[in-house]
Amino acid sequence: MAQVRRSPEEHEVVVVGSGAGGGSAVQVLTEKGIRVTLLEAGPMLDPAKEFKEHMWPYEVDHRGAEEGGAAYFGKGKSFGYFTTTSGGWQLDGEPYTVGEGSEFQWFRSRIIGGRTNHYGRMSFRFSDYDFKPYDRDGLGTNWPISYKDIAPYYDKTEAFIGVTGSKEGIRSAPDGVFQEPPPPKAHEILIKKACDRMGIPCIPNRRAVITRELNGRPPCHYCGQCGRGCLTASNYASSQVQIFPAMKTGKLKIIDMAMAREVLTDGNGKVVGVSYIDKRTREEKHIRCRAVILAASACESARILLNSKSKYFPNGLANGSGVVGRFLMDTVGFGLSGQVPALEGLPHYDTDGFGGAHLYMPWWLWEKHSEAGFPRGYHIEIGGGYGMPGIGSFQRQARKFGYGKSLKEGVRREYGTTVGFAGRGEMIPNNHSYCEIDPRVVDRWGIPVLRFHFKWTDYEWKQARHMERTFAEIIETMGGKVLGLSAAERERNGISVPGTIIHEVGTVRMGDDPRTSAVNGFCQAHQAKNLFVCDGGPFVSNPDKNPTLTINALTWRSCDYLAEEMRKANV
Amino acid sequence: MSNTNETLIQVGDVSRRDALRTIALAVTVVAGGQMKLEAAQQVHAHAREEKKKTGSYKAKLFTEHEFKTLGRLAELIVPADSVSGSALDAGAPEFIDLLSSQNEHLAAIFTGGLAWLDAEMRHRHSAPFVDAKPEQQTAMLDLLVKAQETDRERSAKGQTYEKSEHYKDFQSYGIYAASDLGPGVVFFDWARKMTVDAFYTSEIGIKDVDFRGNGSVSKYEVPKEVIEYALKHSPFAS
Repeated sequence: MAQVRRSPEEHEVVVVGSGAGGGSAVQVLTEKGIRVTLLEAGPMLDPAKEFKEHMWPYEVDHRGAEEGGAAYFGKGKSFGYFTTTSGGWQLDGEPYTVGEGSEFQWFRSRIIGGRTNHYGRMSFRFSDYDFKPYDRDGLGTNWPISYKDIAPYYDKTEAFIGVTGSKEGIRSAPDGVFQEPPPPKAHEILIKKACDRMGIPCIPNRRAVITRELNGRPPCHYCGQCGRGCLTASNYASSQVQIFPAMKTGKLKIIDMAMAREVLTDGNGKVVGVSYIDKRTREEKHIRCRAVILAASACESARILLNSKSKYFPNGLANGSGVVGRFLMDTVGFGLSGQVPALEGLPHYDTDGFGGAHLYMPWWLWEKHSEAGFPRGYHIEIGGGYGMPGIGSFQRQARKFGYGKSLKEGVRREYGTTVGFAGRGEMIPNNHSYCEIDPRVVDRWGIPVLRFHFKWTDYEWKQARHMERTFAEIIETMGGKVLGLSAAERERNGISVPGTIIHEVGTVRMGDDPRTSAVNGFCQAHQAKNLFVCDGGPFVSNPDKNPTLTINALTWRSCDYLAEEMRKANV
Repeated sequence: MSNTNETLIQVGDVSRRDALRTIALAVTVVAGGQMKLEAAQQVHAHAREEKKKTGSYKAKLFTEHEFKTLGRLAELIVPADSVSGSALDAGAPEFIDLLSSQNEHLAAIFTGGLAWLDAEMRHRHSAPFVDAKPEQQTAMLDLLVKAQETDRERSAKGQTYEKSEHYKDFQSYGIYAASDLGPGVVFFDWARKMTVDAFYTSEIGIKDVDFRGNGSVSKYEVPKEVIEYALKHSPFAS
């Protein structure tokens, strides 16, 4: 049997995972002169190799359909060939299982930067009320921290990574430190007009894209291809904005292809290091350190904790409460599109913009939940414009117009005349939605895998139906026609498949009481003061704000605290 | 003992990369590196100049006859007109041949579908598809399009063969034709799907729909006349 390789070196802080949380930890700690060792389960990112920004579909023989037309059979790269996902819903040799009667999909990245390389970059602050949900409607649990605790860290994060936006004074969408947003596109102006009539706020989008130079990063050049990875680093990705700069400080050591197995404790139950599998050799290696930050993503961090069993921690580390893995939440998603005749014949123009909609609609009924008929809110994201033609772009028109002259003319007439709406709403944590260790399955590294259980409840279904009615009304108010969604389709696609919005959080939740939470308000384990969890795991609720910005801000706050505790020799 | 896994990793060899990638690396990797907009624009000009593949194509999977049939279908599905060329000009048969040669399932859809089409055409017009008269070819495609529409309407109403309690009586619903042409409907949907994709992902097709993006601008603006046009044609016209 192969021996475990123990490195004699004593590392200072080991960070597991290099996405939003890991990247922020690296940035904040190395700036303070603390040495960081970063473990990443995938390879180093080389933007020059990975990013397909500005490629035309005809530059590859398969045009984006991939070898053998894999995309036609649902086996292509997630989100398309040209995106820079480096991961997916299934990873070879690293399975997860789903409990009977449940449906859950887990997106994992395996590369420096993780999912921040390709994410949507929506950057919304939680509202003051989002931290005290139980106080408002008696559902879920309050956070141990409040808006004022995190507000300064939202400020720092926005100033550092760069976020667009405008001062609006809307309670559901607190204002921040913003760069100037780009102007709305033509279809967005019509959407805003419709929303004005309906009393829905429609405001400049808040995205982690810079419109003026910041820390040597040039401003956005408006190609609209953030999802392919940005060669000029004009949007936020933890790889380019936090990790690459930290590499120049001499304080950062990166160990890539390192799959964390467990957090190591000594005979007294003190956290002393991390065990990982070197994927290149399949050797298990142990490194010793002063503090550990898990930032492997909410579910992966929960998995590591649950697998870190010892005499002192028979249920896994930081799990004296039994909450690790529980309260798994995703965002409620629902989408609807419409075709708008007012956009037919529009003089064509470049609608790429800064890589997403230039407007969005924050939640507007935060004081009218009894009227809405469900407890929490959602925001609305917009799609539309003349997208770069790709595989599948005109299939709807192909079927509608048959073939020949009518098809060609139909495509020209309808190109760019479709608008889409995506609702992103808050779910209430429930007892049926959690992950645990599957007692029978290990991955190819010998690490026990997660088994997921998930259920939407009436709260979420009612919210999705409200989204549907709202989107249909916006489309009709614009003079458009709702596309698709028969009764049968609604039954099947009336709410997103759990996990597919990729906002999974809550599995290592924070709280003041060690009996009902795994970590405290600083994301520090109740059971181990030199162990922190800096990803979506500590989230107590999953407000209708995409989680990344809050992961960045919470991590910054945790690392300020950790550095101070290290200085005081408490850690 | 060397342990490459634990060395400080450098972002790799840049000498092989073109200007775009070199400059991009400078932004993210070189300390204090800066990239001005002019550089970004130059970068994107380079990207656009990437070479196009030309020259004659030899089918990897299809016979000469099959390839010719796909070509004729491509011309019919997306024909040339005063604005742009056809899907044949845009390389649709090559696209379908390449992918089918890499995927047995796709190959079966196309070789089987093309054989079905020829058999059906011989039966109806005593000639394979490519040798039939243009009006006979379009008559066949019209039948397939119609059959698919009927199928779709039925499916939307939940009247599928399997589910319908009216199964025994289905002729009265006018779906007999759909059942007879079923294999053709499936094949034509694939042929059209991939032909349309091949056309609109080509330079010809992208120009045809007048896509204006994939560029690089220092300031994003929406032309005033565009906004005026949209408002004028909308329910919000004052």
